[in-house]
Amino acid sequence: MRARSRIAVTLASIAGVVVSACTTPVSTQSASYAPARTANGTPDLNGIWQALNTANYDIQAHPARPALAIVPALPRTGTPGLSRATRVDVPAPSVRALGAVGGVPAGAGVVEGDEIPYQPWALEKKKENAAHWLERDPEIKCFMPGVPRATYMPYPFQILQGTDKVLFAYEFAGTTRTIHLDKVGNSPSPSWMGWSRGRWEGDTLVVDTTDFNEDTWFDRAGNFHSDALHVVERYTPTSPYHLAYEATIEDSKVFTRPWKMRMTLYRRLDRDAQIREYKCVEFVEQLMYGQLGVIDPATGTVNK
Amino acid sequence: MPSRTGLAIVSLAAAALMTLPACSPSSATNASSTTPRTAWGDPDLQGVWRYEGAIPLERPAQLEGRASLTEQEVKERQQVERDQEAKRLAGNEGAAVGRRSVAESPIRGNEYNSFWQDHGRPRQVSTRTSLITDPSDGRLPFTADAKKAEARSSARYGVGPFESYLDPDTGERCLTDGVTGMMWQGPNGGHNRIVQSPGFVTILHEEYRDRRVIPTDGSASAEATAGSRRSASREGGRTHGNIRQWFGDAIGRWEGDTLVVDTTNFLDRTNYEWANIWTRPSESLHVIERFKRIDANTIEYTITVEDPMTFTKPWTAVIPISKLSDDTQIYEYACHEGNYAMPNLLRGGRADAAKTRSSR
Repeated sequence: MRARSRIAVTLASIAGVVVSACTTPVSTQSASYAPARTANGTPDLNGIWQALNTANYDIQAHPARPALAIVPALPRTGTPGLSRATRVDVPAPSVRALGAVGGVPAGAGVVEGDEIPYQPWALEKKKENAAHWLERDPEIKCFMPGVPRATYMPYPFQILQGTDKVLFAYEFAGTTRTIHLDKVGNSPSPSWMGWSRGRWEGDTLVVDTTDFNEDTWFDRAGNFHSDALHVVERYTPTSPYHLAYEATIEDSKVFTRPWKMRMTLYRRLDRDAQIREYKCVEFVEQLMYGQLGVIDPATGTVNK
Repeated sequence: MPSRTGLAIVSLAAAALMTLPACSPSSATNASSTTPRTAWGDPDLQGVWRYEGAIPLERPAQLEGRASLTEQEVKERQQVERDQEAKRLAGNEGAAVGRRSVAESPIRGNEYNSFWQDHGRPRQVSTRTSLITDPSDGRLPFTADAKKAEARSSARYGVGPFESYLDPDTGERCLTDGVTGMMWQGPNGGHNRIVQSPGFVTILHEEYRDRRVIPTDGSASAEATAGSRRSASREGGRTHGNIRQWFGDAIGRWEGDTLVVDTTNFLDRTNYEWANIWTRPSESLHVIERFKRIDANTIEYTITVEDPMTFTKPWTAVIPISKLSDDTQIYEYACHEGNYAMPNLLRGGRADAAKTRSSR
């Protein structure tokens, strides 16, 4: 049995490599699909969509693990002869009470080739971000998620195709992106969700987004960018229920070359599917401000 | 100016009509050929809109019993608006601009300088003395308890005490100022972009990035009516459901060229501090809104608010909302993301508390 399972593991890891190296996802192969059209004649992408993957945990391939915030188990110094040969990771104290709910499901990743071409300093910063996930991930503070992270968070979003604007209404933090199909001026300032211009290339909605700030992340694994970020997204209907999604990431301050994410977006079919409120600001006020006031309403602690 | 006067006359006529019970189907719903249409045939309300009027929500005490201003008063107020604009352009701030009272100022007091305020053009003066058309005294019909809550809120606003993050008002917490004022309030981001897609009207409000995605497949027969708690349902048997939200559960439908939106299922957030308690949601809040494009650049927005928790009877306001130029944009409102005011308020609160302790 032992030998067999080792072979299975080896095969699985090879398969993993093959899958992640594969540059043509199945979803873009159905080029013959003719999508429904809106009254304006463009492909009809209206509806509620959601990614079904683990990219928000980590856009790269990752095994399952007990928590995002990990600390090494303390050595058993009290009992001579029983010290452990290898390091064992356990959930950090701040997330330990979550048990299995706080675990990270495995995922094949959504990055083409599974490699993010960080500049050397940036790779170090990514690792440092991951080690300080709890303090640094903007998702924890209910900040706007940025692009393309908003697409693959575990919340739905709705595409609403107007006459010359397309709205992307994301559930998380009530964030909305306006995609300008018409001619617009330049963005007056950097922003969390960027400045999005859209165009149709055949049946594909291409969204070109610039003018980001440097405060959003790509996932909970600390993958990040600078204010030089430029994202080109492609939304291609491959069936009434699927969009092939591709995002090209360019940021000359952080990466050595442009790179891509690819995934499938699924239409939410439930009869009562709709974007609900997720006004998470009130969910994080205690975390962010509880210790700053005269009194913390959650603990009754009087701060002096 | 002639066009503004014209607007005022139209609004006045509309106000006269709106003394009818607010929820009876409007008689003026003939599908007029002048209303622009979307490619799929719905009346087209798309664009960026903003209330640019100088009419206060409630009739000021000094105008008690008067539904309209004289021509002379209108001229004087137009001059005040022009003067204020000139003073703002000259770099004056707060009281130096000339707005001192709550009724005059778009924000209570003048604690925010002009950097925060988006006045746009000089406000449009009309003969009307209140946006509220019902009750006829132009005043919010607060219950006795709500009057006390309003007095308490007024006394606290901008003053505190700020002992925890629950003490600033919902706006300063970057939550929202509430749905009842969303279409026409927001001195630092009162623009609304309306985008339509088949079956939906979406309103994106700049301030707090408030957003409402309103399905328009509701049916008239199932609409809740003021005075009844019967919940509305959508065609196909879907009801309002039982998920409460800050902005409730909005169900829209087209009545001729008018968009009618019926909203119930609000969360109870009456325990939070509200700068204006008439905007607070409660579980008994019921809002009916009508959006009617009365000319190329004006939506006549009528809102009827019913909430026994706050008001003795429903009230209705009729509000002319102006279309801004096609190149007007809604910009990102990252309020919570940059809320330096909150930690600073709390540090101030602690400093005050320490001072109180040391002086004892």
